[in-house]
Amino acid sequence: MNIVVAIKHIPSIADDLPVSGNNVDFDSVDFVMNEWDEQSIEQAVLIKEAVGGTVTVIGVDLIEELDNALHLALAKGADKAVKITADEPGADSHMQAKWLAEAIKGMSPDMVFAGVQASNDIDGQIGPILAAYLDMPYIGGTSSVEASDGSAMVVKEFAGGAGAKYSVGLPFVAGIQAAPKPPRYAPISKVRQIAQTATIDKVEPSGDASGRLSFKKMAPPVVTGHAEMIEGSSKEVAAKIVELIKSKGLA
Amino acid sequence: MLTTVEKIIFIILALTSVGFTYHGFKTIFDSIRKGRSAPELKNVPINLVKAAITVLFQRTIFKARKGLSAIHMGLFFGLITYAFVNLIDVLEGFVPGFELIYGGKNLSNAPTGLVNAFNLISDVMSGFLLIAITVFFVRRFITKDKALMYRDNVLLNEKVKAGAQNSDSLTVDVFVVMHVSAHLMTQAFRLNEGPDPFMPVASFLNSIFGASQTGVHVAWWISLGWVMFIIPYLSRSKHTHFFMSPINLGLAKQNPRGQLDPAVPLKVLNGNHHDPGAKHIHDLAWTRVLDAYACVQCNRCQDVCPANFQGRPLSPSALEVNKRYLLKEATFGSHPDRLLLPLTETVISPEAVWSCTTCYACVRVCPVGNEPMADIVDIRRRMLIDGAELDSGVQNALQSLATNGNWMSKGKRLRGKWAKDMEFPVKDATAEPVEHLWFVGDTASFDERVVPNTKMVARIFNQAGLDFGIMYKEESNAGNDVRRVGEEGLFEQLVEQNMAAFGKAQFQRIVTTDPHSFNTLKNEYPQFGSQWEVKHYTVTLLRLFEEGKLTVKNKLSHYKVTFHDPCYLGRYNGGFTAPRKLLGLLGVEFIEMPRNCENSFCCGAGGGQIWMGKVAPGERPAENRIKEALTTFGEGASGKAQLFIVTCPKDMIMYSDAVKTTGNEGKIEVRDIIQLIAEAVGVEEPKVAEAVPA
Amino acid sequence: MSNDVFVITEHMDGKFSDVSFEMMGKARELASALGGQAVAVVVGGGVDAYVFASDATIHVDDAALSNFNPEAYGKVIEALVKEKSPKVVLIGWTITGMDIAAWLSARTGAPCAAYAKDVCVEDGALVVSSQVYGGKLTAEVVLEGDMAIVACLAGSFPAEAGQGSTVATVTATPVDLGSLKVKFVEAIKPAGGDVDITAQTKLVSVGRGIGGKENIELAEELAEKLGAALSCSRPVVDAGWLPRTRQVGKSGLKVKPKMYLMLGISGAPEHLEGMKSAELIIAVNTDKKAPIFNVAHYGATADLFEVAEEMLELL
Repeated sequence: MNIVVAIKHIPSIADDLPVSGNNVDFDSVDFVMNEWDEQSIEQAVLIKEAVGGTVTVIGVDLIEELDNALHLALAKGADKAVKITADEPGADSHMQAKWLAEAIKGMSPDMVFAGVQASNDIDGQIGPILAAYLDMPYIGGTSSVEASDGSAMVVKEFAGGAGAKYSVGLPFVAGIQAAPKPPRYAPISKVRQIAQTATIDKVEPSGDASGRLSFKKMAPPVVTGHAEMIEGSSKEVAAKIVELIKSKGLA
Repeated sequence: MLTTVEKIIFIILALTSVGFTYHGFKTIFDSIRKGRSAPELKNVPINLVKAAITVLFQRTIFKARKGLSAIHMGLFFGLITYAFVNLIDVLEGFVPGFELIYGGKNLSNAPTGLVNAFNLISDVMSGFLLIAITVFFVRRFITKDKALMYRDNVLLNEKVKAGAQNSDSLTVDVFVVMHVSAHLMTQAFRLNEGPDPFMPVASFLNSIFGASQTGVHVAWWISLGWVMFIIPYLSRSKHTHFFMSPINLGLAKQNPRGQLDPAVPLKVLNGNHHDPGAKHIHDLAWTRVLDAYACVQCNRCQDVCPANFQGRPLSPSALEVNKRYLLKEATFGSHPDRLLLPLTETVISPEAVWSCTTCYACVRVCPVGNEPMADIVDIRRRMLIDGAELDSGVQNALQSLATNGNWMSKGKRLRGKWAKDMEFPVKDATAEPVEHLWFVGDTASFDERVVPNTKMVARIFNQAGLDFGIMYKEESNAGNDVRRVGEEGLFEQLVEQNMAAFGKAQFQRIVTTDPHSFNTLKNEYPQFGSQWEVKHYTVTLLRLFEEGKLTVKNKLSHYKVTFHDPCYLGRYNGGFTAPRKLLGLLGVEFIEMPRNCENSFCCGAGGGQIWMGKVAPGERPAENRIKEALTTFGEGASGKAQLFIVTCPKDMIMYSDAVKTTGNEGKIEVRDIIQLIAEAVGVEEPKVAEAVPA
Repeated sequence: MSNDVFVITEHMDGKFSDVSFEMMGKARELASALGGQAVAVVVGGGVDAYVFASDATIHVDDAALSNFNPEAYGKVIEALVKEKSPKVVLIGWTITGMDIAAWLSARTGAPCAAYAKDVCVEDGALVVSSQVYGGKLTAEVVLEGDMAIVACLAGSFPAEAGQGSTVATVTATPVDLGSLKVKFVEAIKPAGGDVDITAQTKLVSVGRGIGGKENIELAEELAEKLGAALSCSRPVVDAGWLPRTRQVGKSGLKVKPKMYLMLGISGAPEHLEGMKSAELIIAVNTDKKAPIFNVAHYGATADLFEVAEEMLELL
């Protein structure tokens, strides 16, 4: 099974996000791998472990710092890493998907995975756009992908444990919501060893596309309401919550 | 005395005994040598001599169980005496006419005084040996002291479970009783001229049994024949302790306590590849394979282990006993294959591996210089590399440390946020030169329960005119606990990040509020090129008082306080005096808890425990500690506020929690020493309320 | 080309989801501003499509479309919008709509704005407010071109304005559904026996802050004492600490209990979608800037374990 995992490098929301002009100030944020990409890497590696094959991880290098994420993916079991050297921190999903599509075309993948969404997918997620550009079917929100003889069994999550099972002919693109198992931990010594020995293929960006959105404004949300804050020690907080619940006849 | 036939039999017996003994110890040494290379040991002969002196005075056992230790001392001296007694007994057997009774009066030119002294000592010692061995026998078999037992959830070798240690003990108990009694009887039977005043016990026996030549022969054989059997046996039992513990002490860890052995030996012979840490027993450094033979399972380590206290499945002593039985079954037994089983199946359960707080209490208390904690860290190291399932909380913490440089999933830029909120500028040490680089640490930087104290430290430093700065986003977690969780690669990454940050900064020394950071910065960073002096803030603060830059305006005599020594400041680095001197300056009423300084009891947070998603059941160490403090303060209101003083951000959290969970709010309050200092020097938080967040 | 506003409705088990009506109401507002019609698009067999307050309802009725199939639904919608050329297409930013919106954008070349909280027409241009970066920032973007796709967060607009009884025009599928590569195999029902959190009057909900599955017990104990059920946010489910049946939010269930006590949930927009209409929301979180405090009725910055333990003492 030849699986390509497309990852997205995005500004970390662990920090406060400074704004410059009408967009995030990309120079003063840290970029991290989209959290759902960890799920798609795990899903890909699980399939490889089950039926064999290769896992290629590919991403657009927006700020020349993608190597860490790629090394991590290799340490978790990916076989190959490719980066598209774009150096364009503001590239939107359409643009990134176009570059990815051009690079992935030649890899003749059986499956292409992307994280189901990313927190900065304002013009949509990479997965479905990539599917459109590659002319492959797309299925997102998956909680399990299993390879079986020229096709795949995919479980798509709806809500509350409900979902549906689909059979999907290869090749296809999936937006991974969750791997069947929590992503594994990659020991840093392994990551660092890989960082020293692994080669990352570099690909020039090719093609052009745009989400055609123009940013008018970017700002922290206007707060309309705020909770009444309960102050004091944990004991006091607990007491007030209990009192509150009781006063509403709920306990 | 002996007949020729007897002499021949004895010589054959002795030679056989020597042969088996040689085989026994050869097997042990071969097994030890298979261990990995250990950090270089310097001045080994001198250290062995020092260890011999230590053993002679039984210094190390008195760290705990004083009464039993005195009895052990008696036993030890008794057995040492018996080495000479046995020698004399052999001479008495082989040299015709050689007898020491009655001051050696049958010998020409015998130094009568010396002989009498020897007789008296050996006679009294014999009595003492019998008493000592009886005490130990009663303790193990009659009163069944719980300290000698293991909790049900502790992984134990099948043989141990089946009571192998008890049968070892019984064998030696019986041997000592028989051997000593038989020796006394030989002497008693020799006394054909009535009592010898220098041999009171033998004389007493003589008064009952009289003198008898046949008796001498029989008793002699019982006494010395036994020895020929017991010595080879010792090499195959837990009593290898007799021989191996002094050697082990002489070869004990020489590096600072706070410096872990490398994950992969620095000296790798023949270019062998080594995975980090330990999966099999011979992945351990040879000095720690030796530990197993030095251990006699006194369980002092188990007594002081906070994880064991809580009822978790960890016993450092069980680790050592399992190691020895694993080796014994492989070398003397028929199970060499078991050496290839993972240590997590043979010597310590994975749950126990993850229960260790790395408080060092087990290593500190061990009379024979064993390091079970170091084994545990080595096992963790390999488990991590081998992809063992991690506690989800630990995994989250490590992932955040790898990406954010802190375990709290906060962005790097938020690290210095507390400083930006201060009423005066806090220098950025990576941008302008400072004298003191303050390494703040994760908890003190991010945890909102601790940040007010962090700010107070800044205010006091500022008030004292200390030239200091922090590294803001350039600081990463120092990696102390990361290393102790076994994530060596991440530790190295964090060290590199911090070293790079230090490289950008200009400063003379490092000061830190966090004992964990303090430990690794002081003891481990030098191996990565750090050359800076590292101070804990208690030392810096004390100096500021001594130099008159801080003065006590308000004496705090209205407080009754006790002080908790953080493991990584106290036991690891000996930082006992500065906090106590500070408390002295502040004028508080200070009371010491029973477990203090070296013997301080861990709060339970170290070694990655604070990251664990799993909250183990049982009374937490911190809760027990709060109760200890309250007992120390005693019943009855003194009219003074009772404070539990800490000098570690993690302690602040652990003990504040423990006060609440034990329902002792109002009776005792946890405070960082900086809060007291602020009150005493008259520094207050600015009145301006913090801006309400948008 | 028209000035119509299309709403791609969504349904499951014969019932339309709230977001369909919410978008319908918004579509009417937009259509009147643009001078076009608000059109409900229903793709699927076996549903009663006469439920929208639309100017027109197009029902592509085919038994092969009874179950959601991203490929089939996508192709049908693509054919439809290419034929009718609406000005705006509203799609739910939901577990099903997320499969369609961006794909349609790439197929048609029309711009797409996701995470939409609000849409309006300003000087003839379509302006969308999107909640991005986990709710930390709101972006206002202008969509260029003849057609625009807006993927709307559930719960952004009132649903009532979209409810009606417009007669649906039934059409056959405009595309061949025979040669699809994605085939619906079977529906997966939630594992039986678990609590239905949507039917509970009281919920204790835990988030990433709970730290590990090992701590679920504490929360469960508290829920039990309160006579509540335990629910959670997505990361808790993804980590395998609780089953999917307990998940509240976009990819989980929508709940409307009388009491929603949140422990260690920071309040990502996806979660808020699922619970913000609860009657009493109390949030405990260590981060005083957590977005949940903008939504909760009562909040406290405190350690959730301590609070939970203290509450257990008191109950």
